[in-house]
Amino acid sequence: MAVTQESRADPIYDGTRIPSPIPTVLEVDPAIRDTDDILTVNFGPNHPSTHGVLRLIVDLDGEVVVGLHAKVGYVHTGFEKNMEQKSWWKAITYAPRIDYLAYQNNELVFVLAIEKLLGLEVPAKATWMRMLLSELNRIHSHLVWLATGALELGAISMFWYAFREREMILDLSELVTGYRMHTRYFQTGGLAEDIPPGFYPECRKFVEWMPKAIVDYDALLRKNEIWEDRTRGLGLLNRADAIALGQSGPVLRASGVDWDLRRDDPYLFYDRVNFRVPVLPHGDTYDRYRVRIEEMRASVEIVEQCLDRLERLEGEPWIADDRKVVLPPREELHTSMESLIHHFKIVTEGYSVPEGEVYVAVESARGELGCYIVSDGGPRPWRVKFRAPSFAALAATATTVQGAYIADLIAIVGSLDTLMGEVDR
Amino acid sequence: MAFEGLPGLVETREAFGETTLVVDPARLVEACMSLRDEHGFEMLIDIAATDYLGWGAPGVSGYIGTATGRNLNRPMTQGLQALPAPKPKRFSLNYHLLAIQQGAPRVRVQVWLDDGEAVPSVVSVWPGADWFEREAWDMMGVPVEGHPHPERLLMDEDWEGHPLRKDYPLGGEPVRFSGEE
Amino acid sequence: MAVDRPKSHRLAEHGLQSERLLWPGKGPSEFEQELGDIESQLGLTTLEKAIAWSQTRSMWPDTFGLACCAIEMMSIVSSRYDIARFGMEAFRSSPRQADLLIISGRVAQKMAAPIKQIYDQMLEPKWVIAMGACASSGGMFNNYAVVQSVDKIIPVDIYVPGCPPRPEALMEGIIRLHERVQAGVPSAYEVGGVAK
Repeated sequence: MAVTQESRADPIYDGTRIPSPIPTVLEVDPAIRDTDDILTVNFGPNHPSTHGVLRLIVDLDGEVVVGLHAKVGYVHTGFEKNMEQKSWWKAITYAPRIDYLAYQNNELVFVLAIEKLLGLEVPAKATWMRMLLSELNRIHSHLVWLATGALELGAISMFWYAFREREMILDLSELVTGYRMHTRYFQTGGLAEDIPPGFYPECRKFVEWMPKAIVDYDALLRKNEIWEDRTRGLGLLNRADAIALGQSGPVLRASGVDWDLRRDDPYLFYDRVNFRVPVLPHGDTYDRYRVRIEEMRASVEIVEQCLDRLERLEGEPWIADDRKVVLPPREELHTSMESLIHHFKIVTEGYSVPEGEVYVAVESARGELGCYIVSDGGPRPWRVKFRAPSFAALAATATTVQGAYIADLIAIVGSLDTLMGEVDR
Repeated sequence: MAFEGLPGLVETREAFGETTLVVDPARLVEACMSLRDEHGFEMLIDIAATDYLGWGAPGVSGYIGTATGRNLNRPMTQGLQALPAPKPKRFSLNYHLLAIQQGAPRVRVQVWLDDGEAVPSVVSVWPGADWFEREAWDMMGVPVEGHPHPERLLMDEDWEGHPLRKDYPLGGEPVRFSGEE
Repeated sequence: MAVDRPKSHRLAEHGLQSERLLWPGKGPSEFEQELGDIESQLGLTTLEKAIAWSQTRSMWPDTFGLACCAIEMMSIVSSRYDIARFGMEAFRSSPRQADLLIISGRVAQKMAAPIKQIYDQMLEPKWVIAMGACASSGGMFNNYAVVQSVDKIIPVDIYVPGCPPRPEALMEGIIRLHERVQAGVPSAYEVGGVAK
């Protein structure tokens, strides 16, 4: 598996297009700045694309974008500071709201980081279920991306098609966890509760239906002349620039870099399943769209393989047995004094995580989602930092929109799949 | 991966399967260039700043409830835990790097800073560091020398203070519960 | 021709003992009786009733999604929850054309000024729904960065709890708003209160 070789012979563009001196700000060329042709437009924090509250200050020469300045912070929530004040257990509740579309991945990465510090071993059933839910969440995130991305470019009916499947995924989520979004199902040591009966047949139905739905989406968009015109050859990002800007996920893979954390830095049980990693060479908006569609297909296959394993693990434990970290089963509280004390300590004070610092990364729908935690040995986190893939993707906006029309700006920003909740945290 | 020849290397730590290279801030850019060019760490993943003010101070035991309601900012107990090892300086700035190679080697470059001590910018090494360094300045008050655009990123431009510091209050409003005086 | 209406949006002060109204014309019941009492008390003219009726049938929201609640707000447009049956699927991008502002998501301090600007740009009559725990009260984020409830900035008519509220919960909030408007209860900015 040669991860460093170019998957395309000719470069997408020569050299680098990263603006200088500020990599994230496209400055207007001094030659045209002083003419009266430059119009500065504010794409304010409230605008009809549903990426969230992104503010772009765009300089236009006619319809061509000649300057771009992104301002963020309009949904800065102070997650990291809030998480420092709560116990490790309670802080998990904050995590999914950071990337509120691929919420399961946030929980996953935070819980994996805690377990890495604790050195806790998670039972197989929990790991398979975590994989299954994370992949369902990836499909969910890509569906909403597809729906809103196509909506912005005018392919309005995509929205209803994609949301139909999205509702199916949320139904599955509700079946398992009781919540549609922000499920808070991942616990340190495994899952909060056992997988309820009736989940496997429902998930199978979804797995059988989803590939047909993706065929529907392709029928609408893939060979659609208008879609191709609006997305091919735009928003170019070559391999070297993508790596220099710290891109990951579909943006990186659409620029020809064969890199997927699930395969190359495996976590959970991704080394035990077979899945395709789509990599495309052109680095444009159309390729990013294709990569995400193919990722949805690959995720369905992973979900199917997880289902196969899970059905054989009926009756297995779903959470680790370490009573210092995991709540004991309720029946035990009536008979065992130690269980009662453990329960009391865990609920009031919280479990203590050994001193140290770790960084754990997972492949979220948007790219490498990382969590850096520092523990002082106590019951509360000392520092939690989430590395958001959209943070890096948004920094690449200035590089990708060069020479684009203002209508293409929408397509390009959409294809980078940024989510302001995780950019601002 | 052997990092002995790295310019400015102070210490190498291995823990939890991760390698942390503590580097002298004055030679940070050299060290980063060496890591990028010679060791292949082409991708800067994250720059995380941590404030260690109050590290190791023993917490107060018990649940603190007061007449005016629960104070969200009082610490919980740390009991009879062993106190953590003291840190050299107040702030640590951690650069997480990744090499796009077989095995996904990762490394963490760590620099230690006092309050107000500046760190050179690595934007010349990895352009993606731009916003991460701005965030470190905005949230933690770590000044970055040589940054092309040292503005606040997440907070308002005229915001005072650096929110993620330990001496910055959590803020918010006191939560009053019904039925109390 | 304005009749003296009680300056309150509490339905109890309008003479309603029940929390909810049923749509008039659904059959004789005490709710309809109360609605009739309100109407006679308020003296809503046929014209005002007609205006209120048409306002509720086509109340266009502004595309104002902030965070997680925005995703659930998007799903009420989707075919399962279908807000188009209320005539509200036309989310207007410009606040000048919108009637309803659904604050969906946490309000950061930096976003407070744009929200006020957008609210000011909307033309009367206008309504505000604070969707979710963060917009209603600051939610789980009681800290320096989040405005503890959007009603510190703009007057709110309906608060929808949840984190995020289910699409059905948001629909319930919207339906209650419709019923309030039809009953003649004034919008929050007329009542006064926090901000105008």
